[in-house]
Amino acid sequence: MSKGKRNMEAEELDLVPIMNLVTILIPFLLMASSFVTLAAIDSTLPAIGPPSEPSDEEPEETLNLSIAITDQGYTIMGSDAVLKGDQPDGQKGPTLPCKRSGCDTPDSYDTKGLTEMLSEIKDRWDDEENVILVPESQIAYETLILTMDAAREDPSKTENDENGQSRKKQLFPNVVIAGGAQ
Amino acid sequence: MAKKKARRGGGEGALSITSMMDMMTIILVFLLKSYQTENVSVAASDDLQIPISSAEKSPKLAVNVVVSRKDIVVDGEFVIDLEQTVDENTGGQTIVVPDDEKRGQLIAKLYDMMLAKAETAKDLGAKTGSEDFEFKGEVLLQVDKRMPFSVVREVMFTAGQAQFGNFRFVVIKGSG
Repeated sequence: MSKGKRNMEAEELDLVPIMNLVTILIPFLLMASSFVTLAAIDSTLPAIGPPSEPSDEEPEETLNLSIAITDQGYTIMGSDAVLKGDQPDGQKGPTLPCKRSGCDTPDSYDTKGLTEMLSEIKDRWDDEENVILVPESQIAYETLILTMDAAREDPSKTENDENGQSRKKQLFPNVVIAGGAQ
Repeated sequence: MAKKKARRGGGEGALSITSMMDMMTIILVFLLKSYQTENVSVAASDDLQIPISSAEKSPKLAVNVVVSRKDIVVDGEFVIDLEQTVDENTGGQTIVVPDDEKRGQLIAKLYDMMLAKAETAKDLGAKTGSEDFEFKGEVLLQVDKRMPFSVVREVMFTAGQAQFGNFRFVVIKGSG
């Protein structure tokens, strides 16, 4: 009884221990909650199977778009055509050569040019969603990711999705990574 | 300090912590919530720098394969060490899977481990009969951005042989 009276007299609930706890928890959670948000890029292995029998029927025209990433730049290939780039010295080179010779860093690849070119291709083949990447062995993983980004969407143009929402123009979101040249 | 003052002033002059407590409780709840939503964690270090990408999809939980500059780790379990060598063609530093760990293109220890994971996942799927646990062959790949494609290809090939055909490359969401 007397104890209860004494508690009644206490002016306020002593929040200091809780404050201590909270002030420790907040920095801890701030450290733990990373503000870098992660994302994922889906990719599948190319299906391996026997080559299909050639039929007499008129084959459906497909694009089979592939991008070879070499130490000189990007080469864009279609079903049976290779887009060649013209070099200043008259020789044929990659479709989109690196901005700096040597391609020593991932950002020297001409990703902007690739997006523009793929955007043009997409205008002609608007049902196509697949692209095959064929990187060379020594190409850095970052270059691969940058290329996938460039091939996925065109940030300079917008289009409407199925629900009528505006979004960036989708180019070729389904990326397949091929074995590449040894 | 506050106690002293409170005693002297009979409670009236005491520092009111209640409003601060309100604020902190809100921050605490917010942080706890943002703490929970992250279901894939990346232990970034010098040897594992995840590339930045404009991808939007959020990563789902799957078998986690981490390829750093030093080693390959699957779901927190160490698999093999990687070897730093000098590239014969360019003369620059490069990373390779040691030859004695490989059978052709297959990374033997990684294959064994992935196959065991696939079997476990399939067993689980068969026992529960639930669609959520069905084996879809999904694998999360966290790869250092400086890794040469040859290593990535060998890891992908090995995972593919062990029935993991759906790859998710983990990237950091950025403006791209």
